Amino acid sequence: MDVLIQIFFTGVTLGAMYALASVGLSLIFGTLGMFNMAHGLFMTLGAYVAYSAANAFQLPLVLGFVAAMAAGAVIGVLTHLLIVRFMLGSPDFGMNVMVATAGLGIVLQDIVLKIYGGYPYPQVVRVEGIAQLGGVSITLQALTNVAVALALILGTAWLLMKTRFGRAIRATAMNREAAMLMGVKADTVFLQVMALAGMLAGVAGLMISTQATLSPQMGGDPLLKAFVICVVAGLGNVWGAGVCAFGLALLEAAIGYYFGVRFGFPTMLMLVILLLIWRPQGLFGRERVVRL
Amino acid sequence: MNQSHSLKRHLLVSVLIVAGFAALPLVMTQRYLLGEVILFFLWAMVAMNWNLLMGHAGVFSLAQMLFFATGAYSVAMGTSYLGVSIWAALPLAAVVSAILAFFIGLACLRLTGAYVALLTYAIVGMVHVLIITETECFTMVRNSCQQMFGGAAGFSQFEDFGFRKLLRGNWILGNYYVALLAFAVTILGIVVIIHGRLGLAFRAIRDNVGYASSRGIDRRKYQIAAFAISAFLTGLAGAIYAGHFRAAGPSLFDFSTLLFVLSMVVVGGVGSTWGPIIGAGTMMLIIEFSKGMGDARDLILGVALIVFVVVMPKGLAGSVRQFRQMLGRKASKNEEGSTV
Repeated sequence: MDVLIQIFFTGVTLGAMYALASVGLSLIFGTLGMFNMAHGLFMTLGAYVAYSAANAFQLPLVLGFVAAMAAGAVIGVLTHLLIVRFMLGSPDFGMNVMVATAGLGIVLQDIVLKIYGGYPYPQVVRVEGIAQLGGVSITLQALTNVAVALALILGTAWLLMKTRFGRAIRATAMNREAAMLMGVKADTVFLQVMALAGMLAGVAGLMISTQATLSPQMGGDPLLKAFVICVVAGLGNVWGAGVCAFGLALLEAAIGYYFGVRFGFPTMLMLVILLLIWRPQGLFGRERVVRL
Repeated sequence: MNQSHSLKRHLLVSVLIVAGFAALPLVMTQRYLLGEVILFFLWAMVAMNWNLLMGHAGVFSLAQMLFFATGAYSVAMGTSYLGVSIWAALPLAAVVSAILAFFIGLACLRLTGAYVALLTYAIVGMVHVLIITETECFTMVRNSCQQMFGGAAGFSQFEDFGFRKLLRGNWILGNYYVALLAFAVTILGIVVIIHGRLGLAFRAIRDNVGYASSRGIDRRKYQIAAFAISAFLTGLAGAIYAGHFRAAGPSLFDFSTLLFVLSMVVVGGVGSTWGPIIGAGTMMLIIEFSKGMGDARDLILGVALIVFVVVMPKGLAGSVRQFRQMLGRKASKNEEGSTV
């Protein structure tokens, strides 16, 4: 029983981080139709900025999170203004923008490497201590991460479902032309989406760095998992991405416990491939009807 | 311009390119430069195959370096475990890559577009992680532990082409002509495919899946064929890489290596015939000159990718074509837009 609880908590902690990363990724795909290969670096930047800000100004914990969010939002907006904006509507947009953001990713990673060096640092924005829950010990850090992630996800859900701003995003995602005809400013929506997704990624990065360490490559592995989660959920399906993040994280934790951490991700991927052969549009994706 | 005419013209160009490179060692004798040209052959092979798959068959796969690595690892493992001679290992490695591609294609090509890119990228990531986290010893080599797939260190010091004994100081010439032979096979094979019926089928699927399949072209069948063909030739390039450097390691899976080759395809021009070769040359020259500015390879790679995709999405080959069309219009010549 203790083992099951332990696996559950590990899974939920992982899931909270994956959910933040993949919800943003999915949101961007849904509205802009682009795969953001630089999303992993948005996470890395969030973590490093929080680290530097905390070191320089002795920030309290809350402001560390705010710094990570701000960094993610800024880089998201800049990505849109400096790169994506010029490519929207061009032929082969989907492929070209993946190449461009992959290029951006490697540039950012190199910049981080040049500024901070390749040595891993421990994150300073962190909570110390251990709590006892039902016979298993959990770090307060993990609890904080889960709480913050849940708050942010619920906040995002509220934004998307209950506000005017969210309705504009959903309308643009459903049908860009129709939304523009109804007076939605698509450019503004794209900017807002990039800022929101960048913000979530920045926090995700900070959380990942509290569980492991800071390094220029830290975004690569979560990005890979976020991709897989988005594909399983069905591309652009934001709710599905959140649910799948927790599901796959629990699965990964269980496999990691029973067969060794090494096989957690590969087994997960095998299952995903089998799932996609069964349902190519993803678990929550709707079959698209294509007219010729 | 009819099909067979353009095929003949492109074949003539490829024979000229190969002949030019065959004569190159007469004027260029420095070992370092010859080594760079060998690398150019290998990267150009991968880029051409990637372009066949991505630009012509419309499969946006990110698994190209996986097939390259499969070729290299097949040679490394075949020569060190099974005692296969390297000459037998070369075609074997290509076949192993093609078989792997067939199965990956079977799984991934049920999907389309960005899904394929993500899934292939995830598969590469998985293989990479599995290789570098392997710790169990499979054999002992020179008193150190050797994992079955080489672990984080990879394989080294296995059998090479044997030119070091045969040609002594000029051993690199032997490697040069082996690589050139593989390059020639690739270039001829790809030109024949692109300008033949198969290439036509690939482009028909890329341009309009619905129309192509209503005319009896099975998307999955042809895309898997494209996947396997490009993996075969890419695996061959990987095998030559292993034979030339006597090494095969997990660095082949690095994201920056993937982007390096991808930038060649994009800079050269996706969907062209000669773009990847131009792109491979251009990128290698850029990186070579940037070596003087310290370690700026990744920075330059990234910026080149962004700039080319935003400013010149059709790549250098596309710009050449546009330029020629512009000239042609001025001279009121009636040149049709054939693939450069």
